[in-house]
Amino acid sequence: MQKQIVIVGLNHRSAPIEVRESVAFENSYVADALTRLRGYPSILEGVILSTCNRVEVIAAASDEKSALSEIMLFLAEQKAQRHAGALDDHTYTYHDAEAVRHLFRVAASLDSMVIGEPQILGQLKNYYDTAQRAGTVGTVLHRLFHRSFSVAKRVRSETGIGSGAVSVSSVAVELAKRIFDRFDDKTVMLIGAGKMGDLMARHLQSVGVKTLMVTNRTFERALAIAERIQGNPIRFEDFARYLAMCDLVIGCAGAPDILIDAATIEKVLRERKYKAMFFLDIGDRRNFDPLINDLDNVYLYNIDDLKSVADENLQERANEAEKAEEIVHEEVQSFIRWLASLEQVPTITALRQRFEEIRQREIEKSLGGDLKGLSEEQRAAIEEMTTAMVNKMLHGPISQLKKNSADHDDDGTLYIAALRKLFNLEKQ
Amino acid sequence: MTLPMDVLLIELTAVAYLVAAGSLFLYLFRGNVESRLPAAILLTGFVVHSLALIRLFLRQGFAAVALMGDALLFNSWLMVGIYLLIHLKYRLTVLGGIIAPLAFLMTFAAFAVSRGATEVPPGFQTFWLPLHVTLAFLGNAVFALAFGVSLIYLLQERHLKHKKLTLVMKRFPPLESLDRLNYKLLMWGFPLMTLGILTGTLWAGIHWGDYWSWDPRQISSAIVWLLYGALLHGRVTAGLRGKKAAVLTMVGFCVVLGYFLWGDAIFPSRHGGRFE
Repeated sequence: MQKQIVIVGLNHRSAPIEVRESVAFENSYVADALTRLRGYPSILEGVILSTCNRVEVIAAASDEKSALSEIMLFLAEQKAQRHAGALDDHTYTYHDAEAVRHLFRVAASLDSMVIGEPQILGQLKNYYDTAQRAGTVGTVLHRLFHRSFSVAKRVRSETGIGSGAVSVSSVAVELAKRIFDRFDDKTVMLIGAGKMGDLMARHLQSVGVKTLMVTNRTFERALAIAERIQGNPIRFEDFARYLAMCDLVIGCAGAPDILIDAATIEKVLRERKYKAMFFLDIGDRRNFDPLINDLDNVYLYNIDDLKSVADENLQERANEAEKAEEIVHEEVQSFIRWLASLEQVPTITALRQRFEEIRQREIEKSLGGDLKGLSEEQRAAIEEMTTAMVNKMLHGPISQLKKNSADHDDDGTLYIAALRKLFNLEKQ
Repeated sequence: MTLPMDVLLIELTAVAYLVAAGSLFLYLFRGNVESRLPAAILLTGFVVHSLALIRLFLRQGFAAVALMGDALLFNSWLMVGIYLLIHLKYRLTVLGGIIAPLAFLMTFAAFAVSRGATEVPPGFQTFWLPLHVTLAFLGNAVFALAFGVSLIYLLQERHLKHKKLTLVMKRFPPLESLDRLNYKLLMWGFPLMTLGILTGTLWAGIHWGDYWSWDPRQISSAIVWLLYGALLHGRVTAGLRGKKAAVLTMVGFCVVLGYFLWGDAIFPSRHGGRFE
């Protein structure tokens, strides 16, 4: 009997956050939950995946229908520990090829809220490791997960799904990297106390800028921010004097007036010998004169520009996702072929065939060589003897295989997979 | 005199450069070509190119480069060679996207403009010939690369100004790197060009007694030399960099290229293989 792959889960599209939270598994509890899952009669192998956007149970089962209801029961039990309420409306179920496809899509980040985000693969690997340690992973899920990891890698390297920043501050950093080739000699100035500016300054700090200056109309706030993000506080009256030193300037002041105009920057540029400057105007109101962007070697992006770049990148990822779906499709086909090969009948046939081939070859060699002079009867006797030998040798393994399969033994597929590998039956 | 074997080698070179250019464009715009492939094809072309030149030199000596078509061959060979060296250090695959088509055009044009004299008169067969030609051509080759770097700079700059980010752009190096490389190339190219002009002038003065003969090549060189000199001066003293520097670099090279492709046809001279 072939193992069937089933997935029951809920994600950011199928269920609201409260429901997802109610069934989420805490890290420390996953191993116990896996053991409990494995306790259900038709579940042979299982992996639990639980992130903030999805909770899924991936299982290999002896019977698909009963497995689905058992997993629902399992999830309901988990939910009951929090609070009651029907789960059915919020879950999706997949089996066989669809389940394989789903897992591959999850691993390749095609099912993520932000398509192409790279975290999901790491999470998947962690949960797979947990299941492996808990002993709930067998031949089928082992292969399924390792395939899904390599599908994810293929998708990442063959498509542009992970390229292009999709958040405002990562877009800003990406743009800065188009302008500057190193940051350890760059100075950043943050003007204003807006939240976005804080975030962006931190983001820039993570790429390792040399100096970060912070200024604000009220010096105390500048002091506070500077302390929080490890910058140098500057008095608001003085900030213009420091501009010539700055390569990146972030404006995030709530003030409705233009703090820096193009004429000022023209002077500043002369002073810094026209070394490139990058202005980020990311407050609710414009802090920088838009004409600044017309000056040579100066680039000005406001929050809307950054957002539209992020949106374009997101669109780009969606286009690349189509290519990725094709890769997934291919990989699902090849996985399903492997899964089907795990059935015992074709394996036994292939094994017999392999031995028979060997027998025939050796007989031909011997009867055509050293034993050329044998009579017809002697030849027949040798045929008979070798056939009996092969049958006797195969009798043990084959009856064991049949017995395993009849018992619904977990390891039936393991033996089949091992046999296929040991005797090189994969290609047939 | 060109033998069938030489023609074949040069044709192979041109084809390799064309294929390299094609693969580079696929790499840049489609992203479905492995990044090492274009440079490998370009290198293959370069090896065949070297063979063609070696055969030429063995038969005719250095005098070969005085013939217009062969001069283009020599110049494009230097250009590709220097690009491959730069690529080794900076991994500037994008620059190959400009160098490869340019190299193709130059090798292809080597056939088209191969006219005029086919024998170099004995008057030209002195040590001045290899000295002058190599220095001048090295300068040209370095400026060809500076041209490519500047073009990439301008494309990148335009994208950033217009706030359009594309797949191609992700392959481009940052503006700062491009500008720095442009400066380095100018620092190498300008002295080479100066030496090229100096050796040429001395040679003319010693052998023909006319240091300056208003040869169109001399005039165009002088213009480009002044332009690059001003650019270098501006860079060092006044912070002439970025977009303006890139534009000036490109203008200078266009004058050089323009002379190479058409100058000789319009103003026949000593440089164009008419050894009167």
